[in-house]
Amino acid sequence: MALRGLAGSGPSSRGPLEEAVAPAEERETPAMVAAGAAREDDDEDDGRGRGLLRWDGFSAWLHCVCVVGFDLELGQAVEVIYPQHSKLTDKEKTNICYLSFPDSNSGCLGDTQFCFRFRQSSGRRVSLHCLLDQFDKDLPVYLKKDPAYFYGYVYFRQIRDKSLKRGYFQKSLVLISKLPYIHFFHTVLKQIAPEYFEKSEPYLEAACNDVDRWPAPVPGKTLYLPITGVVMKVRIPTCHDKPGTTQIAQLTQQADTHISVILPTVHEVDLFRCFCPVFFHSQMLWELVLLGEPLVVMAPSPSESSETVLALVNCISPLKYFSDFRPYFTIHDSEFKEYTTRTQAPPSVILGVTNPFFAKTLQHWPHIIRIGDLKPAGEIPKQVKVKKLKNLKTLDSKPGVYTSYKPYLSRDDEIIKQLQKGVQQKRPSEAQSVILRRYFLELTQSFIIPLERYVASLMPLQKSISPWKSPPQLRQFIPEEFMKTLEKAGPQLTSRIKGDWIGLYRHFLKSPNFDGWFKTRRKEMTQKLEALHLEALCEEDLLLWTQKHTEVETVDLVLKLKNKLLQADREHLPVKPDTVGKLRTHIDAIISALPEDLQGILLKTGMT
Amino acid sequence: MALRELKVCLLGDTGVGKSSIVWRFVEDSFDPNINPTIGASFMTKTVQYQNELHKFLIWDTAGQERFRALAPMYYRGSAAAIIVYDITKEETFSTLKNWVKELRQHGPPNIVVAIAGNKCDLIDVREVLERDAKDYADSIHAIFVETSAKNAININELFIEISRRIPSTDANPPCGGKGFKLRRQPSEPKRSCC
Repeated sequence: MALRGLAGSGPSSRGPLEEAVAPAEERETPAMVAAGAAREDDDEDDGRGRGLLRWDGFSAWLHCVCVVGFDLELGQAVEVIYPQHSKLTDKEKTNICYLSFPDSNSGCLGDTQFCFRFRQSSGRRVSLHCLLDQFDKDLPVYLKKDPAYFYGYVYFRQIRDKSLKRGYFQKSLVLISKLPYIHFFHTVLKQIAPEYFEKSEPYLEAACNDVDRWPAPVPGKTLYLPITGVVMKVRIPTCHDKPGTTQIAQLTQQADTHISVILPTVHEVDLFRCFCPVFFHSQMLWELVLLGEPLVVMAPSPSESSETVLALVNCISPLKYFSDFRPYFTIHDSEFKEYTTRTQAPPSVILGVTNPFFAKTLQHWPHIIRIGDLKPAGEIPKQVKVKKLKNLKTLDSKPGVYTSYKPYLSRDDEIIKQLQKGVQQKRPSEAQSVILRRYFLELTQSFIIPLERYVASLMPLQKSISPWKSPPQLRQFIPEEFMKTLEKAGPQLTSRIKGDWIGLYRHFLKSPNFDGWFKTRRKEMTQKLEALHLEALCEEDLLLWTQKHTEVETVDLVLKLKNKLLQADREHLPVKPDTVGKLRTHIDAIISALPEDLQGILLKTGMT
Repeated sequence: MALRELKVCLLGDTGVGKSSIVWRFVEDSFDPNINPTIGASFMTKTVQYQNELHKFLIWDTAGQERFRALAPMYYRGSAAAIIVYDITKEETFSTLKNWVKELRQHGPPNIVVAIAGNKCDLIDVREVLERDAKDYADSIHAIFVETSAKNAININELFIEISRRIPSTDANPPCGGKGFKLRRQPSEPKRSCC
């Protein structure tokens, strides 16, 4: 059998891994009726029941909660860290302080929500929760945790208060987490922050306690997350979901948000609202993000900068954006110098900024998006033309995209017409976002399918797998060979968009996004080969083999097999469920046929 | 069968046994050394009531004074509030009256109020007369029942009565309401040695 076509026909189809986990549906059946029934859902267990220590439940979701205030003498300062034992380095604290407040010029009276992302200090012990790693493997690639970064989710309040020396009450409640669940944490903060500002410490203690009792963030399950009097229902997507679908079932008609809230998504942003100011250039921006071009979003406030950056990163989904992105970046950031230096070409990053100082600092950047206030699904700006970079003045430049980039693909006017019509008909922003999201998804899929297909063809034939040799290697990725496949099986099969697709691919192959994508695929395929090799070994009559070989060779085989088993366990190799068990039986049989002194030694080595 | 989510909160002084009542109802177990609740703890249990399934979303609030200001979050949107006092501590009954006042002023308009006099197994050291509590409950049209989370007395009954009082989603609500007298326990409740 040839294994070609293994990686399937689309980015969603992960062939070999598919059988691993089917989304578990909520175990809510009418079977548990009547008083006296046992508690129906283990997931609502308070954590300790599963033998978890206090705060283990909390740290599966959040690293810590910070309160950042303004001290007249010190400036911004972290006033509270909860839980108190959470570790943040001084550098991390400084970053959090600056990133948790809007730049002084952006006003922001009232309540403002935004998000930032910052680099974890080097030398910090990487605390990979073994339990969570297991969840990580079922997540879509774009939702996997990045061990080197934290997210900060901010709720900032600034109101006049004459009783304070500064004349203003200014405070941020900040959630620090590894999880990129932007919409989810946004909703959590909206729920807890306003009350926190009224009721302070005991409230924070209560909220953190609620989080500590949450079930673990398992992908594919409907999770019930009670917090401060409200139950939030969410479902974290899995890599096995069909892209572009949400799968949270509404079982009850519950309109009262004081009781429960259903989140249709944990990570998506309102794409249309964010793209609205630069709506005509959506497709060009998609290209720039896909190619990992340096991009800066200059916005009037951090909420607009962060939303827009996240929308950009989101628009190439289900592809993961592999370079760094900073939804809100300030001149105090520890990477400020690294990212703004003129001594080398601008890095492949997307920055969201609000400080006008950046207009000068980043003047040399090739692509600049300038947006005004995001209007709630309002008018679409009239101007269509891309602006010349030299017209970008420091302060008073108009909204638009400033670049000299010539897109590879010709613009799809149909989507623009469709969205324009939607605006005329006052179609809600959410509906417009769905249209735009589907359009981006189709575009990304059309682009990636030929690559998926070609990469799948690099898989060796099954017959080349021999139990007595190392697993065969993947064939090399040869760009020219790939380009040739485009004639017959290029994006023209699935997309009506014309233009220089070949040019786009050539450019993409040099980008960090290709690099990251290919590494992921190669790893999956190598693991699949390892798994197939393991299965091939399993099918052999190993005992018979040992009878024909010397004792030394037999011992060598046992050690090799034990190593394989360890690897299968460690890397979660996609083996058939009974393979590991079978191999163990083989090993035991071989060992028990050996002399007793050897048996003792072999049983102890490489325990699995 | 229709599934309805009903938010229920427990209020009352610290140490009266709110968590124990919930624990008994949900887990059917009792732990004499339970820790004080922080903020509130949350549990659910689904029961059948007539042709509906009632999923109780139970918020068991902390009785400690420092969490006092958080209460509105838990009774906000609640279909029912269970206010618990300890029959062996007179002052917990006064606290209960304050809770009733607060719910009147700030609680949801149609909230079903249930009063539970807990620790009815400790009849020897009783400080609150059942008659007094019952009269008070009647005067505010609240459900009243004396309970023992420890000996599992009247715990399920309490929730069944809440289900009865909650307005049905149908046009014709089942009879019930005022004046209902709960099934009494044997006049001589089991003693536990101490």
